[in-house]
Amino acid sequence: MAGNDMSYEAIMESLPLTEPVLLILLSLADQPRHGYSILKDIERMSDGRVVLSTGTLYGALRRLLDDDWIERFEEEDTSRGKQSYRLTPHGRRNLQLEVTRMKKLTRLASLRVATRES
Amino acid sequence: MLTVYRKLLHLYPAEHREQFGEEMFAVLLDVRAEGVNRKLIARGNLYIREIAGLISGALLEHLHNLVGVDARLSLSTRRFSMRNGFRFPKATAVLMMVILAGIALAIEKARVIQAAYSNGNPPLVPLEAARFTFFPTLVLLLMIFYAFGLVGWAILFALRRSGVHRLADIAGDQK
Repeated sequence: MAGNDMSYEAIMESLPLTEPVLLILLSLADQPRHGYSILKDIERMSDGRVVLSTGTLYGALRRLLDDDWIERFEEEDTSRGKQSYRLTPHGRRNLQLEVTRMKKLTRLASLRVATRES
Repeated sequence: MLTVYRKLLHLYPAEHREQFGEEMFAVLLDVRAEGVNRKLIARGNLYIREIAGLISGALLEHLHNLVGVDARLSLSTRRFSMRNGFRFPKATAVLMMVILAGIALAIEKARVIQAAYSNGNPPLVPLEAARFTFFPTLVLLLMIFYAFGLVGWAILFALRRSGVHRLADIAGDQK
């Protein structure tokens, strides 16, 4: 896949991520999940604020698969029709870059807001 | 509701349906089972969300296949993500052949009918010449498509995602 050959600049070009995509990646960061489990985890993580429909979820999953951010595999103990997804090393690296970018932004925002308040 | 979901899944491109269809239906079953214990309004909202998601998802997948644009939920928050190559769907070639065969068949049928009724069967009323509207309609359609194309290009240009900008980016990277 072309995704692994992406330069740092090309990856940064694809950031920032949309909130649903970021939540999907975060959902897969700690463990592989199947579609319904991703939906429920996103709902839980966002305190019910983000509720994706099945159509929206699979549109995003298709795109993430195309770009080699995630991979699909069949777990032995799941029934047919419940394929699981996990982050690829490339996807995990991109997620880390996004988290780092957000950390810098929130640190800057905190500093600016604190300066203004003082 | 399951029948509705099944039918809506058929709106997706065959490739997407083959890859995700069964899996999506399994998720829809889980979502439906979860909604059974909810109140009527909450259940209605859930169904509306799923149906709207399936319809918009199917449209976006077709859009992606036709012009390589992921207009929503692209990885970045940029509005458009253009694919490098323009993909001509295989189904289009088949469809064009079917249409061509249909036109050829219609012309042949018309000839047979003309030959059968040309002798000894005069029309009851004088026939008026049909107005020839094919070319004006064609020109009008071309103008409409051109206008749409122009608007689309203007949007891409405004978003700095036009071919000119992409070429400029490539040229910039090579320096």
